[in-house]
Amino acid sequence: MIRPQASRTLREIAAPLGKMAVFVVGAGALFSALMVIIAFLCKGSGADKLLLDTQGINIVTYTMVNLPQVLIDGVTLGFVYAAIALGYTMVYGVLEFINFAHSEIFAIGAFAGVEFLIAMDKLGVLAAAGPMGGYMYLVIALMISMMAAGGIAMLMERVAYRPLREAPKLVPLISAIGVSFALQDIIRLVESLTTGQFYRVMPTFGDFDKRLPLFSIPTGQDSTQVDIQVKSLVVIIAAVLMLVLLNYIVNATKIGKAIRAVAQDRNTAALMGVGVNAIISFTFFIGGALGGAAGLLYALKFTRIDPYVGFMPGMKAFTAAVLGGIGNLTGALLGGIVLGMLESFAGAYLGTFTMGAFGSEYKDIIAFSVLIIFIIFRPSGLLGEQVSQKA
Amino acid sequence: MKTNLRTTLRPVGAFLMRGSTPYFMTIALLAVSTILVYLSPRSIPAFLLFAISASLIYFLKLKKPFQLGMAVLVAVVIVPILGARNIFYLEVIFQIAVFAALALGLNIVVGFSGLLNFGYMAFYAVGAYLWAFFGSQQPFLLHEIPGTAPMGTPFLLAPDWFYLFIFLGVIVVSIVGLILGLPVLRVRGDYLAIITLAFGEIIRQLANNLDKPLNLTNGPQGITPIQRPTMPKGILAWFNSICEKIVGHPVTENQFYNIMFYLIAVLVVVVVILVTARLDDSKIGRAWAAVREDELAATAMGIPANKLKLGAFAVGASFAGAMGVLFAASRTFVSPESFNFLQSVSVLTMVILGGIGSIPGVIIGAAVVVVLNLQILPSFSLFLANLRQSDAVIPIINFHWKDLSNQLDPSKYQRLIFGIILILMMIYRPAGILPAARKKRKLQGSMSAGSSGEAEGAGGPDAAASQGKGADRG
Amino acid sequence: MAELILETRDVVKRFGGLTAVNKVDFSLEKGSICSIIGPNGAGKTTFFNTISGIYKPEEGEIFLEGKRIDRLTPDKITSIHMARTFQNIRLFGGMTVLENIMVGSYTRLRQNAVQAVLRTRAFKEEETRAQAKAEELMAYIGLRGVGNELAGSLPYGVQRRVEIARALASAPRLLLLDEPTAGMNPAETEEATLLFRRLRDELGITILLIEHDMKVVMNISERISVMDYGEKIAEGKPSEIATNPRVIEAYLGRGAAGGGAAAIAANAAGDQAGGQS
Repeated sequence: MIRPQASRTLREIAAPLGKMAVFVVGAGALFSALMVIIAFLCKGSGADKLLLDTQGINIVTYTMVNLPQVLIDGVTLGFVYAAIALGYTMVYGVLEFINFAHSEIFAIGAFAGVEFLIAMDKLGVLAAAGPMGGYMYLVIALMISMMAAGGIAMLMERVAYRPLREAPKLVPLISAIGVSFALQDIIRLVESLTTGQFYRVMPTFGDFDKRLPLFSIPTGQDSTQVDIQVKSLVVIIAAVLMLVLLNYIVNATKIGKAIRAVAQDRNTAALMGVGVNAIISFTFFIGGALGGAAGLLYALKFTRIDPYVGFMPGMKAFTAAVLGGIGNLTGALLGGIVLGMLESFAGAYLGTFTMGAFGSEYKDIIAFSVLIIFIIFRPSGLLGEQVSQKA
Repeated sequence: MKTNLRTTLRPVGAFLMRGSTPYFMTIALLAVSTILVYLSPRSIPAFLLFAISASLIYFLKLKKPFQLGMAVLVAVVIVPILGARNIFYLEVIFQIAVFAALALGLNIVVGFSGLLNFGYMAFYAVGAYLWAFFGSQQPFLLHEIPGTAPMGTPFLLAPDWFYLFIFLGVIVVSIVGLILGLPVLRVRGDYLAIITLAFGEIIRQLANNLDKPLNLTNGPQGITPIQRPTMPKGILAWFNSICEKIVGHPVTENQFYNIMFYLIAVLVVVVVILVTARLDDSKIGRAWAAVREDELAATAMGIPANKLKLGAFAVGASFAGAMGVLFAASRTFVSPESFNFLQSVSVLTMVILGGIGSIPGVIIGAAVVVVLNLQILPSFSLFLANLRQSDAVIPIINFHWKDLSNQLDPSKYQRLIFGIILILMMIYRPAGILPAARKKRKLQGSMSAGSSGEAEGAGGPDAAASQGKGADRG
Repeated sequence: MAELILETRDVVKRFGGLTAVNKVDFSLEKGSICSIIGPNGAGKTTFFNTISGIYKPEEGEIFLEGKRIDRLTPDKITSIHMARTFQNIRLFGGMTVLENIMVGSYTRLRQNAVQAVLRTRAFKEEETRAQAKAEELMAYIGLRGVGNELAGSLPYGVQRRVEIARALASAPRLLLLDEPTAGMNPAETEEATLLFRRLRDELGITILLIEHDMKVVMNISERISVMDYGEKIAEGKPSEIATNPRVIEAYLGRGAAGGGAAAIAANAAGDQAGGQS
């Protein structure tokens, strides 16, 4: 009896890891190949000449040399998006409802963790902690982020969504917009009253800003160093661990089974003795906790946060969820990674290829266009699992 | 509880409705509140009283010509004079008019045809940028970096093209509305709402980024100066010759421009109201309502649902287009930040607060939100600021007001207020303050009973019978 | 042989792996009253939805008065004089009865947006006519005095009538009624049956019903078609259908809750069949 259970556990852990590896490598290879092809096509163009004039390398070399760094950035961003997207997708899977306020749950997670770290920093313990202690404090901060974000997500469901569960579909959506706006200003209010300002900066501690050199690529006389920041590595590892854990909870535990049952058919699940309200609350908690953790990881990576910090990552993560097929956990992962790569590639190469006419500032427009195109032409997402809209 | 309130109020209402009472009351209230506002131009209660008595013209049961006459008197004579006395009121009323037109446009999409649009400000933006581009020096600055306009750059068009551009705004923006509305052919419900949000963001970001390769929008700095239409010659002198004594000071050209834009805005709103109300009361309005209620049944009744939904997007957008042109001219400045998601949601809040699908409701929603934004929140901020400077203390908890964080400025918390309004309305009153009422029609059958033949005679008892049975079973 | 108003040839409608309507050949004579019966899940409503354009058939052709309609949208089909009601009443609940019926006349009104905004004389006259017509229909169907009531607030039996009036407002020559007496008590059912006959006799409308109440079916239909598992298994006069062994097997073969079978048996015995919903 123990062995099958153990092997099952192993499988539930190995399977998502495998999927992630496939997605990362696949998306990375695809985008890289695409970029190199475009670079070849651009050979001899104005963009090529400009590069030769300014940096002394041709466009193909330029593209290739930059690839590893762009890929690393893309993967980092992709995992953050994936972690947020899971919150959207879980709630959509269970309630068929776009939890618009999930982006503020993300912001709450970021603020809770950052406030804790700032407090520790003031006490001087962060500076004294050294690199290993830094990790410990980060883990504690992550826990705090997850608890705060998950708790608020549950509360939000109880107050603003549960009374509207049977209402026409657009009613809870409008309520969610309301929650989103209210939470932004509540964060601002709380921060203003307690700290006198409403943006916060992540304290520097541990060795998160260190860059680990990976390898160097020779380019003529010069060589380009490829490295990865410790914090990017932390972001990726933390996100992977959480995604594995989530996958395990949903697919291999009793409560996960209940979540899936509620997603299938709420009424039947209730008849079968599943406590639907409790399960929905739990779903919001899990989704919120993931979003909150993503918030802190985002703050670690980009350091400065304000109450409105959630909007863009939230929209991007929603795009990722749609891209992968909303309601589908694996899809959210895939969508996050693809979108992260897309943004990172667009940010790095768009400006070069168009000689500065269009630059990285178009990455939001690109993400939104992807969202629109997918919703219109392939609402079931890349993985194609039919999550039909109930008319 | 609701019914209790209604029964207690009924006698009061009956008294107010009787004979000449409502006429007398309207005139008296208006006169008193006008005098109050005139005497103390900075008093908010006086202004609110004025606003309420003005809206009574609509709500009391009055003869149509009287209502119209009073409305024109208030809009064209009283408000400009009070506004000239305290130019701030003109701004409030101008904004109410602008947002009322926007909210009415959004109401066609959300309220009449039941499609949620979170990117409505995009249409307003397109209208504003249309005149901002053609009505400024921008066409000659296509290759300049933002902020480096050479001295003496000419304007492309004469200022009075503005009037034509109001109509062009309607046409261009309704085409944009059609294009942005295309997803309705394939997507519905919440997905459509998200698409419109994405469209809105794309338009705003384009406005932000299209300062290169060609400098079309001047980027985040925005376009300025934008021309205003020329003022008719001598009209300012004429106004001052009549009103200087009443206003108390000579009106400057800038102030008079405000009056002029206010009047144009009111004119646009009147047109918008007429168009909206008349469309609503036609086969198109009935078809919109049918599509909103049950799209499948509507198509089965012969209604081309997609065509109507696209039409709703286009008509709704066109109002925003006209107001966008007006906005660009009145501010002489546009920038992408005026068209963000917060603005879209604030217009949505007006519609939902006032009453989704209800024309008077939506106008009231716009008025409430604008007054909240421009008057109540700032005065609350001022109040707190004064407290902060005083030595006042909250007794029991011993809190010194001067310790209050100066970050706490209520006028910066619109999102909180909109958010709470949206949540509470959805939970407790989804139909809004002034819910849309289905139009009751005067039935000819009930007046000329029995005159139109046997069929009716046969039908009558049947209906009564089956109705009775239905009730039994229910 | 009389002129055909509706004809389907080898119509197939699938949902994924499930064939809900399988090669159905069906024809309907102008001016007749016919019924489609069959056990639950036999594909009757799907067949209706396919005829009225809500579903597009994968195979086959459908003709209305000789014009091919299987690629038309539902609104186009309604405009060429076919109307329908729904099994689970689909009125516009938040609109008044009169408005519901006037929505039905959408395809018959010539007004456009510009006329509506300008309130031209033609527009006003048309609106008056449309309203008069709607009131006339209400009187005819037996709906006097409820014109300004919200449709959703009315009792069930009245809602059924409103739905029929709404369909009639589109001036149909063919009317599809999907279980029009479901949920009615025997007296209401009786009235409804009379009404259907009047629609045909007085207004000349061809009527096709889906009906579970065998008393209604046997009483009113000139021909009956029987569907089972998406296929048409029998067709004929009521007396032929009542004794057709395949039909009895279709009902009894399911061994089922037996409403339909009991009804057939009861009817064959000339007894009173219980209404079922």
